Amino acid sequence: MKNCIAFVLDGKVVEVAFGTTSLFTPTTTVLNYLRGLPHHRGVKEGCAEGDCGACTVVVGELTAAKKVEYRAVNSCMLFLPMLHGKQLITVENLKGPAGELHPVQQALVNAHGSQCGYCTPGIVMTLFALYKSASKPSREEIADTLAGNLCRCTGYRPLLEAAAEACSGDGRDEFAKDEARVVDLLNSIPCEGISISSGEQCYDQPASLNACLALLEKRPDAIVVNGATDVALRVTKEFEVLPQIIDCSRIDELREVASDSGALTIGAGVRVSEVMKIVRHDFPAFHQMLELFAAGQIRNVATLGGNVGTASPVGDALPVLIAYGASFILRSRKGTRTVRAAEFVRGYRKTERRTDELITSIVLPRPSARTKIRFYKVSKRRNLDIATVSAAFKLDLDRGGRVDDIVLVYGGMADCTKRSVTTEGFLKGKPWDRRYVEEAQRLVDNDFSPISDVRGSAEFRRIAARNLLLKFWSETNV
Amino acid sequence: MHQQIPHESAALHVTGEALYIDDLPSSPSLLIGRVVYSPYAHARIVSYDLTKAREAPGVVAVLSAKDIPGHNQMGPVVKDEPCLAAEGVTFIGQAVFLIAARTDAQCRAAEKLIDVKYVPLEAILTLEEAIAANNLLGPPRRMQRGDVEVALGSAPHVLKGELRTGAAEHWYLETQAALCVPGEGPEMTVYSSSQNPSETQKLVAEVLGVKKKDVVVEVRRIGGGFGGKETQGNHVACWSALLCRATGCPVKIRLFRDEDMIMTGKRHRFLTRYEVGFDDQGKLLGVKFELNSDAGAATDLSFAIMERAMFHCDNAYYVPAIDVTARVWRTNLPSNTAFRGFGGPQAMAAMETVIDRVARYLHKDAAEIRQANFYGLEQDNVTHYGQVVENNRLHTIFDQLMKSSEYAARRKAVQEFNAANEFWKKGLALTPVKFGISFTTSHLNQAGALVNIYSDGTVLVNHGGTEMGQGLHTKIQQIAATELGISIDRVRVNATNTSKVPNTSPTAASTGTDMNGMAVKHAVETLKDRIAECVAALFNERDPSAVHTAKGDCCFESDVIFDSRHPERRIGFAEAIPQVIVRRVSLSATGFYRTPGIGWDKTKGVGTPFRYYAFGMAVSEVLVDTLTGAMTLLRTDILHDAGDSINPGIDTGQIEGGYIQGLGWCTTEEIKWDSAGNLMTHSPDTYKIPTAKDIPIDFRVTLLEQATNPNAIYGSKTVAEPPFMLGLSTWMAIKDAISAVANHTVEPEYALPATNEVILLSIEKLRNMMKVNASEPVHA
Ligand SMILES: Cc1cc2nc3c(=O)[nH]c(=O)nc-3n(C[C@H](O)[C@H](O)[C@H](O)COP(=O)(O)OP(=O)(O)OC[C@H]3O[C@@H](n4cnc5c(N)ncnc54)[C@H](O)[C@@H]3O)c2cc1C
Ligand code: FES
Ligand code: FES
Repeated sequence: MKNCIAFVLDGKVVEVAFGTTSLFTPTTTVLNYLRGLPHHRGVKEGCAEGDCGACTVVVGELTAAKKVEYRAVNSCMLFLPMLHGKQLITVENLKGPAGELHPVQQALVNAHGSQCGYCTPGIVMTLFALYKSASKPSREEIADTLAGNLCRCTGYRPLLEAAAEACSGDGRDEFAKDEARVVDLLNSIPCEGISISSGEQCYDQPASLNACLALLEKRPDAIVVNGATDVALRVTKEFEVLPQIIDCSRIDELREVASDSGALTIGAGVRVSEVMKIVRHDFPAFHQMLELFAAGQIRNVATLGGNVGTASPVGDALPVLIAYGASFILRSRKGTRTVRAAEFVRGYRKTERRTDELITSIVLPRPSARTKIRFYKVSKRRNLDIATVSAAFKLDLDRGGRVDDIVLVYGGMADCTKRSVTTEGFLKGKPWDRRYVEEAQRLVDNDFSPISDVRGSAEFRRIAARNLLLKFWSETNV
Repeated sequence: MHQQIPHESAALHVTGEALYIDDLPSSPSLLIGRVVYSPYAHARIVSYDLTKAREAPGVVAVLSAKDIPGHNQMGPVVKDEPCLAAEGVTFIGQAVFLIAARTDAQCRAAEKLIDVKYVPLEAILTLEEAIAANNLLGPPRRMQRGDVEVALGSAPHVLKGELRTGAAEHWYLETQAALCVPGEGPEMTVYSSSQNPSETQKLVAEVLGVKKKDVVVEVRRIGGGFGGKETQGNHVACWSALLCRATGCPVKIRLFRDEDMIMTGKRHRFLTRYEVGFDDQGKLLGVKFELNSDAGAATDLSFAIMERAMFHCDNAYYVPAIDVTARVWRTNLPSNTAFRGFGGPQAMAAMETVIDRVARYLHKDAAEIRQANFYGLEQDNVTHYGQVVENNRLHTIFDQLMKSSEYAARRKAVQEFNAANEFWKKGLALTPVKFGISFTTSHLNQAGALVNIYSDGTVLVNHGGTEMGQGLHTKIQQIAATELGISIDRVRVNATNTSKVPNTSPTAASTGTDMNGMAVKHAVETLKDRIAECVAALFNERDPSAVHTAKGDCCFESDVIFDSRHPERRIGFAEAIPQVIVRRVSLSATGFYRTPGIGWDKTKGVGTPFRYYAFGMAVSEVLVDTLTGAMTLLRTDILHDAGDSINPGIDTGQIEGGYIQGLGWCTTEEIKWDSAGNLMTHSPDTYKIPTAKDIPIDFRVTLLEQATNPNAIYGSKTVAEPPFMLGLSTWMAIKDAISAVANHTVEPEYALPATNEVILLSIEKLRNMMKVNASEPVHA
């Protein structure tokens, strides 16, 4: 489609046109779009950076099984074209035909779940998605789901109670009754790629990998986005106008997952919330990392490709991927190559990727049964926080209890994710004893000169980094 | 009454229909306002040129201090806060220019075209610098009882030290916002998110150079206030009003989150020095406090906040000899302001530190020391400012909570756990709160109401308080319905509006329900009296032969008015009202309340500043990862005194929410400025308030039973602020866990907030000390 997108809102297909006379640009956020409409002001802006959840809406998407799958997302970080071919559900849509409250709304009323009420529409939407997931969540899972919704008034206890009461069923509601009709509406929206040009901006959302690679070759300056949870901040916080965007969130090839006895291959466009399910059993340290990764609304759009694509020195995925010995598949029109995770980042926010390349997948070799891998994240707040220091460690002991292989990767200790090579060298061949580990702790210091910044002092980082090694030992010396 | 009905706006909240300032229907002529603020902490403004900005697309007005028609002033108490900086700036975030344009993007584009030249001057950015430069905001104050020097001199044990408590951001979910709509001539209506509409009205009138009669301020609801909109909600209102007047169009300003955090004041940072003398049992004999607060660049409420800190540095403890000196310091940071607890938390953190140190020094359980020092029931029951601690519930709460929280057994379990674990340590602590209720500025203790009954038997209540989530309007609705004996859905509480109830006090100091509830009750009583007179006359006319109904016989119950002695004489409430109107009797009445029995002598520092005290206690247990400084809050038990709660659902919500807010202040919420005075933690990316995952895994909140409060409406007790300070139980529990690293033999370094960094650095020091001392015997 040219200069136009279509999605379902308020039970019908809505088209939004772009171009010089349009009120909207391709980087207009869904939040701002909604707040410009007369009847969708329930959605609130609390931060415009994905950190508060006041702007939470639910996006419904067709699954392969022709069902609608509902995901809570932050509308403040979602560009309008990302809605193309999807259903947008806001808090105004939840009441029943006779004005009756949806079960999650009623449960919040009953539990005294709102005080000032400003966070409430976002909380309703997060719980609505949870309700629709029919997952019978535990208290722990409910708290995890709500971690992306800040509330300054209630202290959360009534919210957990309301969720437990409302979300224990099978997800049946008015939306379930209307699902077949919505499926038809969604199917009626053309599924080819979209291409938008609007004044100073062009925005492409190719529907195939080949189309995307062709575009990349033509536009070396274009910014690639997938979930845009990193890139959107340039728009919502820095008010930049991004001239060329290539959005690869519609490319099915990037969502493929393949598994064999040797490795698990995850498409670069698989969302973090999906990745969590895939790695839960076989890659526990990876899962451990993702449990501390942002919060639900971000995980529902952010991708692995985007996470390593940022090359952030405090990105959470890279340390774990290096510890697992993962590699990235990079593709361009010229061909395909494999780059080891450990060699992907070349400096502060610099990567191996050429401008015409896309990361298409991530290959995770299955560790041997003896291999021990752990992830640690030191952050001021446990959830929805960026690491001050992070670490992923891998250990293989030989039959004699000596260190056969060890990988010690740190985040937040240098301008990019970095291994503590001296420490690794020292420990290799030594017995995995506290005595040697304590000696090795001192070497960690020599490998890094961390900085003091808003997240913590250099001294704090140093102490934490060396303590993490001891922590690893304490958890693996059994 | 005393029922758990939902918040009056709950259904509107959950459907997104509740309107906040930014949601009000907009007119086509609406302009967006933007504040251009100082990038320097201290500088002289040399020159500026606004021409280009004024010519930018979509821009309708660009204003500087010169364009203010009235007074360039918005200081609430002391006139030291210009509305727009004129000659110089004194903090980063200070408003210098205002822009109005069709869109926010146009405002931002125009801002780039403003050419200002500043000459930076030296800035004072820390309390230490302010103290070194003797940059006092006003004269020091002192409160004392007994002779502390003598007490300290003769005490068997003396300890001294200092404590730093951090600033904190209110983080109301709705940032500061105001919408001004012009009327005829000087008229203007201000839709504001202010906790203090009357003051907003006053300041708007003053900056515009008009009279109060010309300005109406309306507050439907506030998306969170916590004190942050007690004075500083006025600012956006004044700025929008100036732009509205200059353009003749409606103007709305809603601060962007980062700008709100950069421009507005925070909780006052405190640096407190203390010295305590005590006996072998841990009885406090004398305490000396030196309180220092960081006021920021202007006065705002800093002196009142410091005064409350002085009142509350005893927390729940009787100290025979006490000497409190307080100094308020000026720095080049945004002017700090009211925040739940209003100086109380900072002072109590110091007192709890004193107690905790005494306990560690004497190798006793801190709860035991606390109990030993609580205000007595019959003796040792007078505070250092001479108020008797009446209806003292400290002992009752302590006994019940120690039992219900299984404190003793858990203390033992914690000790065992700590002995068995090298890298993980648990901590347990009980802390009390005793909090004085009333504005300490005595004249503020008044409230007004206006109640209208309409011919269909429905009731509209106006009062001076604002609804910010605390459930004030719900309680008011309950009070009006109860008094009139009608169902709750007949009563609506109107948006707070200065044209309905004038000259009101801020909704603050936890006085909202106590005062406005009484004012409403008085108005309703007047109306009931009038109605009863008509109804009695009606009964007598209808049935002249029978006995006489006097107005005093009329009962209002279950939507019916009847003669209590002859219940067959009855009329439905809705039927009765037209009869009153036919008799030409007014169904509109005002009510007024002034809190009785309070008063105090500021200069002598003695008197009865508070109507009553609120009490509560919490026991918290934490698990600390001593290798990373990470803390897990395992369990919190709270027992709080809400009197005969008007609405236990709402009060429990206040307790839980207050406690979690206190928890944030005590743990993850850290405000940092860089060396130029820029706020580094200016968004939720770096400023971390608690999430749903940070609340206690096991969270038990109970209201104290049989706790009728003789001093407030229906025996209730306010809840709002006091539970915030129960967050200190977590803070003390963390310290207990840290202390376990050195087996409680060494006093750990500590500060507030106890971030993972503070925790880890403190543990590292203890570990190093232990290593050094490893050869020497450790006394247990
Ligand atoms: C509130 C919040 C919390 C966050 N919490 C965390 C956290 O806990 N841990 C963490 O690590 N990060 C966190 N992030 C950062 C961010 O969400 C993640 O890095 C996320 O994984 C990025 O994925 P995305 O698909 O949204 O990336 P995008 O924003 O779409 O892209 C990010 C970068 O990767 C590039 N890119 C994207 N896809 C590809 C591809 N297929 N091939 C090549 N390059 C590509 C883009 O060009 C861009 O430079 C957080 C962000 C927010 C807003
Ligand atoms: S507005 Fe805060 S997450 Fe979107
Ligand atoms: S109810 Fe006020 S922020 Fe949640």
